[in-house]
Amino acid sequence: MTGTSVNAISSQADLEDILSPDGGVWNDIEGQHIELAPTPLDRQPSAYVQVAWKDRNHGETSALTVQAITHKDTLALRIQWAAAQPKRSIDDINAYADACAVSFSTSGEETDLNTMGCPGNPISAWHWRAGTEAPFSITASGIGTTERSADHQLQARSRWSEGQWQVVFAGPLKSLSFSGAGGIPVAFAVWCGANSERAGLKAHTPGSCQLTIK
Amino acid sequence: MDTGATTKHQFAMVFDLNKCLGCQTCSIACKTQWTRGNGMDPQWWNIVNTIPGKGTPKNAFDLGGGYKDGKPVAGELPGKAEWGEAWDFEYDNVFFKSGDTEERDYLRPREHDGKPPKWGPNWDEDMGGGEYPHSYFFYLPLVCMNCENPACLEACPRDSIYRRDEDGVILIDEERCHGYRFCVEACPYKRIYFNERRVIAQKCISCFPRLEEGVAPACVRQCPGRVRHVGYLDDPESHISKLVNTWKVALPLRPDFGVKPRVFYVPPSMPLAFNEDDEFDESQSRFPMDEMRKLFGPDVEQALATVESEREKVAAGGQSELMDILISRNWNDMLGPYQQDPGKMVRPLRRGND
Repeated sequence: MTGTSVNAISSQADLEDILSPDGGVWNDIEGQHIELAPTPLDRQPSAYVQVAWKDRNHGETSALTVQAITHKDTLALRIQWAAAQPKRSIDDINAYADACAVSFSTSGEETDLNTMGCPGNPISAWHWRAGTEAPFSITASGIGTTERSADHQLQARSRWSEGQWQVVFAGPLKSLSFSGAGGIPVAFAVWCGANSERAGLKAHTPGSCQLTIK
Repeated sequence: MDTGATTKHQFAMVFDLNKCLGCQTCSIACKTQWTRGNGMDPQWWNIVNTIPGKGTPKNAFDLGGGYKDGKPVAGELPGKAEWGEAWDFEYDNVFFKSGDTEERDYLRPREHDGKPPKWGPNWDEDMGGGEYPHSYFFYLPLVCMNCENPACLEACPRDSIYRRDEDGVILIDEERCHGYRFCVEACPYKRIYFNERRVIAQKCISCFPRLEEGVAPACVRQCPGRVRHVGYLDDPESHISKLVNTWKVALPLRPDFGVKPRVFYVPPSMPLAFNEDDEFDESQSRFPMDEMRKLFGPDVEQALATVESEREKVAAGGQSELMDILISRNWNDMLGPYQQDPGKMVRPLRRGND
């Protein structure tokens, strides 16, 4: 997976069109296909989870497509993946909603993304869950340490149509650590609510991608 | 001797099932104290179920969780259909409909979709087991067991559940909890609830803010039946230690779950069985002993025999420390170190009252 590049193209389109998951501006942006894989079960930080899921599949989503736009100070990412049975909200005690996230290395080290960061080298992430009004802004310094905060500068819009989720994140570029003209390692994750996926039970990019500003 | 020695003290409770009359005052005490908040309507941190019965949620003790041979057991996560919702009631029909009284309805419970409920907390109350006259049942109050080997704590991948060092009370950190509900699956007693609105898990907190002020939990103080003893398991002079360790009449519920609960039960003495001549059969309890053993473990028959023996001693005019503890003529003796009367405490001023 290392070496996959997601190019963020500058756009002067109306921000509302960019934020819209079916906005016309996205038709002109090349999508990057990214393969996903289930997270390793033996890395789940709870013996209970490892036992309860040893005979169950998780990380059911096999791939997603990502497109990226920059608009002035904003980075917008549009993520699409197949979801035949969307779970649009947590509508029961035993129900889980579909979700996705994009994580960013703050150190520039792609290895941090595989471990959700480490002490001293946190990662940041944008997290969307179906049925919630606003996305979460996340930091983490290792598996099981995610901290959520409301970030009023982060937006997400979503749409499910014809078996596909389309989610657009839009957040401030300055919140990410870009070193000059280079890119930063990013990774993606998808949780399939119909399969009760949550926490570390997800499909993720087993390596990382490089997000480059063009 | 079981002292819960991993924390400074081990808060523990003993419920005498000979005395529980299923009045649910404890359930309401808890509900009015703690579970009226956002999304908490369906939560019954304290509940009293009828045994035999399916419990709350439905089939609660058959949904896995806990440990077997030291390893976690996968648990099921019941839905609202098994937990029961906080029902709506058609108050308008009963109280405000005017005109023809034949159109007045009675107070029917309805789920939020308008349909009649098919299950709810304590749904099978008083159904019990056996066919009359061989019927048998008892009431089983349930709270968080503050287990010494808590499956919920281990299950949480975020370490959102912790054990207080001062008294072993198990709490969920609601700021850390992300509502994954592994803990709900893992608890073999199914005493953890999910707050759908806040997307967090919640459960009995052993009234810890009251404990910190020396006040016994609400369910304990408000029980009219003097069912509940509280104290420190590690204090050999406490009712708890005497009932659990000295007299050995207070037993854990479902010890096979492997979680070492710190709520113990004095098993209920049951009526005698009837023989085929409809006479009492003094050799048999009406409650099947294999069911009793499954609930309270292999020591239950000895515990029942001890209580019976001490009861007979007193009936014959003798003295019994065990009977004195269980009868609890002095109610305050049941409260252990939590003697403070909340009614005599200085309350902080409410906003607007100064």
